[in-house]
Amino acid sequence: MSPFELAEPRSLKAALKILDANDPSVRVFGGGTALMLMMKAGVFQPTRLISLRGIEKRYAKVTSGQDGSLHIGALITLSALGRTAMVKKRAPVIVDALRTLSNVRVRNVATLGGHLAHADPHMDLPPVLIALGAQVVTAATTGSRTLAVADLLTGYFETALAPNELISEIIVPSQTGWRSAYIKLTTRAADDWPTLGIAVSLQTDGKVIQDARFVVSAATEKPLRLPSVETALRGATISDAVLARVGEAAVAEAELTGDAHGSAAYKTELLRVYAGRAVRKALAA
Amino acid sequence: MTTTHKNISFQLNGRPVTVHAGNHQNLVELLQGQGLYGARESCGQGLCGCCTVVVNGTAVSGCLTMATLVDGADVRTIEDAQADGQLDAVQQAFIDAGAFQCGFCTPGFILMTRQLLDAHPNPTEDEIRHYLAGNLCRCAAYTEIIKAVRLAAKKRKG
Repeated sequence: MSPFELAEPRSLKAALKILDANDPSVRVFGGGTALMLMMKAGVFQPTRLISLRGIEKRYAKVTSGQDGSLHIGALITLSALGRTAMVKKRAPVIVDALRTLSNVRVRNVATLGGHLAHADPHMDLPPVLIALGAQVVTAATTGSRTLAVADLLTGYFETALAPNELISEIIVPSQTGWRSAYIKLTTRAADDWPTLGIAVSLQTDGKVIQDARFVVSAATEKPLRLPSVETALRGATISDAVLARVGEAAVAEAELTGDAHGSAAYKTELLRVYAGRAVRKALAA
Repeated sequence: MTTTHKNISFQLNGRPVTVHAGNHQNLVELLQGQGLYGARESCGQGLCGCCTVVVNGTAVSGCLTMATLVDGADVRTIEDAQADGQLDAVQQAFIDAGAFQCGFCTPGFILMTRQLLDAHPNPTEDEIRHYLAGNLCRCAAYTEIIKAVRLAAKKRKG
């Protein structure tokens, strides 16, 4: 790696001041795990970095909204997120996904905000958060805004964040009445990057599915909701025939691309089979 | 303003040290400068666990940690000796179970096993496998390693 300056501000306000909209090589980081990999590979050669570790501790905490929503500070480590009782209770799918998200040491350091801002389409939590209907709150010297996680991620390693903007909080709305599941398919170890990720959230009334969010990831340039699958699920009572239709609808709509973790044809076959299994897993949650 | 290098002070295995380090150095390089070679950079991507270091009580991948970020921290490596020079329960269990061949990955496995047993004194096999999934042993002594972890859990309870 080549030398760079490192700023360690003590407040979010101070961090935002250092972020220069005119110098795109100035970047903030939380845990720095993904950033280190990019710098080691020579893909990114910064002149100045800003560590957010020293800013106010409240940006690493989880609090409850009055409506039962989770307000998660962007600097929370993935380990701390997985240990938080409120998260386990209200959005257990997040804790389930964390189990095979990289390893203990990476989870000890990597932050939720960094996980989202990195925008690698193989990340595990973006599809889960999209299925949960989560939003991010951003901060900049010019003000704050709230946008859906689905709108934050705009493409392959691309986000809607402005150069002088960072993620300060993630809001997971109340999941009352919803059940969710994430299926991660890997071709090597369980904690490897996924070859395909499927996140499903279902709102049910008895055995009838009222509403659905179905997200596919790791085989598309960004996590993608599949409206045709969601339409097929709404009003349906689950049977093998319905789930077969769900699988066919998923592969008809999603244009999957291959990568080092599997060919497009292989991933498409996985989606055909696992779309229905993901729905069953969510119903059993 | 900020610079590319700075003097950092931290506790290294219980003794205070001050080092001039570059932001672009990683923690493994920093430790090698202190004559400590127990944390090894192997995969260089945080996947294999050979570079495990315990910073402020938490296990991290040394190869993905910027050296200057340990300023003010408590840093422990496999070289962190017990006060009386004795091996601890985990080290002894690895020997008793024959849980290594070449030994290259062993420091990482021992440090991670201590972390595991601190968090889960009675781990199930599933917990052991999940917790150590991020540590690779190219000699594939996994069966013996899992035995060693179970043995260490027993030894710790005395």
